[in-house]
Amino acid sequence: MPFREVNSKMVEATVVPGQRMYSQRGAMLAYRGDVSFTPNIAGGQGGLMSMIGRRVADEATPLMTVEGSGTVMFGHGGHHIQVVGLEGDTLYVEADRLLAFDGTLEQGTMFMGSQGGVMGMVRGQVTGQGLFTTTLRGHGAVAVMAHGGVIELPITPGRPVHVDPQAYVAHHGDVRNKLSTALGWRDMVGRGSGEAFQLELSGSGAVYVQASEEKL
Amino acid sequence: MNTPVIHDPMSLPGDDNVDSYTFCVELKGSQWFLQKGKMIAYYGRIDFNGVGHGSLDRLMRTSFHSPLHASDWVVAEGSGKMLLADRAFDVNSFDLDDGNLTIRAGNLLAYQPSLALKQSIVPGFLTLIGTGKFVAASNGPVVFMEPPIRVDPQALVGWADCPSPCHHYDHGYMSGVMGGLRQLSGIGGASGEEHQFEFVGAGTVLLQSTEALMPEVATGAVPHADGVPGGGHGPGRPGTTPRLPGQLGDLQHRFGL
Amino acid sequence: MSGSDRERVHSGGACPHTHPAQYRHPVAMFRLQGSKVLAVDMTGDSVKAKNGSMVAYDGRMDFKKLTGGGEGLRGMVTRRLTGEQMALMEVKGQGTCYFADRASEINLVSLHGDKLYVESSNLLCTDGGLRTGTSFTGLRGGATGNGLFTTTVEGTGQAAIMSDGPAVVLRVTPPYPLSVDPGAYIAHQGDLRQQFQSGVTFRTLVGEGGGEAFQIRFEGDGLVYVQPSERNTVGGDV
Repeated sequence: MPFREVNSKMVEATVVPGQRMYSQRGAMLAYRGDVSFTPNIAGGQGGLMSMIGRRVADEATPLMTVEGSGTVMFGHGGHHIQVVGLEGDTLYVEADRLLAFDGTLEQGTMFMGSQGGVMGMVRGQVTGQGLFTTTLRGHGAVAVMAHGGVIELPITPGRPVHVDPQAYVAHHGDVRNKLSTALGWRDMVGRGSGEAFQLELSGSGAVYVQASEEKL
Repeated sequence: MNTPVIHDPMSLPGDDNVDSYTFCVELKGSQWFLQKGKMIAYYGRIDFNGVGHGSLDRLMRTSFHSPLHASDWVVAEGSGKMLLADRAFDVNSFDLDDGNLTIRAGNLLAYQPSLALKQSIVPGFLTLIGTGKFVAASNGPVVFMEPPIRVDPQALVGWADCPSPCHHYDHGYMSGVMGGLRQLSGIGGASGEEHQFEFVGAGTVLLQSTEALMPEVATGAVPHADGVPGGGHGPGRPGTTPRLPGQLGDLQHRFGL
Repeated sequence: MSGSDRERVHSGGACPHTHPAQYRHPVAMFRLQGSKVLAVDMTGDSVKAKNGSMVAYDGRMDFKKLTGGGEGLRGMVTRRLTGEQMALMEVKGQGTCYFADRASEINLVSLHGDKLYVESSNLLCTDGGLRTGTSFTGLRGGATGNGLFTTTVEGTGQAAIMSDGPAVVLRVTPPYPLSVDPGAYIAHQGDLRQQFQSGVTFRTLVGEGGGEAFQIRFEGDGLVYVQPSERNTVGGDV
C-alpha cells in the first residue's frame, strides 16, 4: 500500500519510477525528491480516464498525475482522510472526494442507471445535475476525503443500510442501491428537498459514512 | 459507556495539554502572552491586559517586538489555571532551549515572556527567540520534516533553525497546458503544485494539513423571523468570517499581507 | 410510501406526546462510534434528535417532527422564540440509527433526575423519556447577541450534546468558581448560578479590539461543559 497515514488529516505516499499516482489538484502539502505534478487534461489518456478528467474538470477539480521518485504528503482542506484498500473489488466514490489513488487501479465512471451513480441518482433526481460516479477497480489503495471522521458500516444480505445522501462517502462490494424514504422523514425535511431521500444499500459489502451532512 | 473526564482546578495539568485541542496554562503570579480570543475558561484570579497597557512597559521591552500584532495580544497575569483553545484545532506546546523558531503568526496562541517575539522577514510569520515554552495551533497534528523539502505555503506552520525558505516554481506545471491556459484566462490561482517554499540545510520544518475550512456557522444564533427577539444578526460584526490560523485578520487586510 | 402511512404521520405530528413515566420498551442504548457519530440501538423505543441529524440506519425507523420546547401554548411560544434551531424529531424503530451533525464532537451525558442546560443548537439526541424544555438566559444572550434561550433536559436517561472539538468538563465548587468565555460555553448541569462578568478592560497601542471583554462566571456546585473553540462573540475578546 503506497499510502501511510501520518495522522487523520495527512497521508504520505511513496512515488517510485514507473508507477504513477493520481491526486486532486491542491492536495499536495509537501514533497521530497524528484517528483513532478502534471495536470490531467481530457483526452490525454483517452478512454475511461478522459471521462474522469472531463467530469472532474467540469467541477474545477482536475486530477494531477504524480510521477517520479520521492515521497509526497497529501491532505486537503483540513478534511479527514480515509485510506481504503482494494483487493480486486470496486470502490464507488464521488470524484471530488478523491484525494489520491494508485495509478494501477482501473478507473471508470458509472452512469446513473439501475446500478450506479449514487450521488448522480440523488442529484439527477432532485437537482438534475451530475450524472456519474467514479469507480476504481483492482488492487491498490485510495485516499478518500470526508468532512469529519468516517465510519464504515457493513452491508449484509437481508440487512440493508439506509444512508443520508449528504453523508454518503463511498461504498464497495456487491451492493445495489436505490432511493427510499423513511416513514415521516419527508414530512420533516420538506418535500422536494434533496434530503427527502435516503440511499438504501443492499447486498454484501460496506458503505463509508461521514459524520456530517455537509458536502465537501 | 465511556464516562467523560471531569476536571477541577487540582486535576488540571500545569502548562500541559488537557486533550489534543485544549491546553492548560498555570499561573503562579507569573505572566503569559496570549493571543486574544483563545482563552476559553479559567479558575482563579487572572487579569488580562492589552499589550500596550502602561504597567507592562518593561515586559514589552524584553519580550514583544511586533507592533504589527500588538492589538492581537494580551498579557495574562495572576494565579490560577486557564484553558486555551483555537477553533478546535490541534494545540501543542513547544519548548525552546536557547533556540529560535519561526511560526505563522495566526498559529501562535501563547508564549512565556522569557521568549522574545519578533517579526520574521517572511511576511505573516513571527520568530520566537530564547528559552521558554509556547503554544501553537495547527490543523491536524504538527508533522515534523527535515530538509531538503518543498512545502505548499498554506501547509507550512513554521520552521526551526534552518535558513529562511525560498520560493520554488514548478517549471513543468507552469509551462504545461494548464499553466498556459490559466495564464491566458486568469482563472484559478496558483496551487501548491506550482509554487512551494523550498527549505534546504539543517533544521526542522513544521507542517499541517491545508486550511481551507468550512465557513463557520453561527451556532446558537436565533433565526431571523417576524416577532423573534434577537433574530438575524447580533449587534456588531455581522457575518464576520472566522480567522484561520495564519491569517492576521483585519491587520492583514490593512497591511495587504 | 403508502397512503395510510402518510395518514399516520400527519395525525402523529399534530399532537406530539411524550410519556416519560411509561416504560413500555427497553431504553435506547447510546454509544459513540468514533467521536463524531452517535449510534443508538433501538428495540421499538424512541429517541428525540436534532432535526435531520440522521446519517444512516439499518432496520426500520419512523421519523416524526416534534415542535420544540414541550407542548401546548407555552410550547408554541417557545418554539417561536427559539426558532427552528430547536426543532427536534422523534425517531422510533427497531435497529441502529446513526446521528451526526456537521462533524461536531459528541459527548454523552447521563442524567439522574437532574437538569441539563444546553445551548439548543448543541443538543443532538436524548432518550425519549427525557423532558425537554426551554429556559431564559438573558445574560448570556446579551453577551453573544444570540442564544437568548437555553434548552433544558430533565429526567433520568442519556443525552448527547455536541461541541466543536471534544468538550472539556469542568467542575465548579463553592471555593472554585469558574469563568467561561461565552463563545466556548455549551452546557452546564447541577446547582449553579451564572453571572455576567465584565470589567476586563483592554487598552491597546493600535486602539483596535479595545473595550470590554465579557465572561460568564459560574458559582455553586455543578459541571460546566466548554468546547475548545469559540463562536463569534461580541464581547468575549480575551
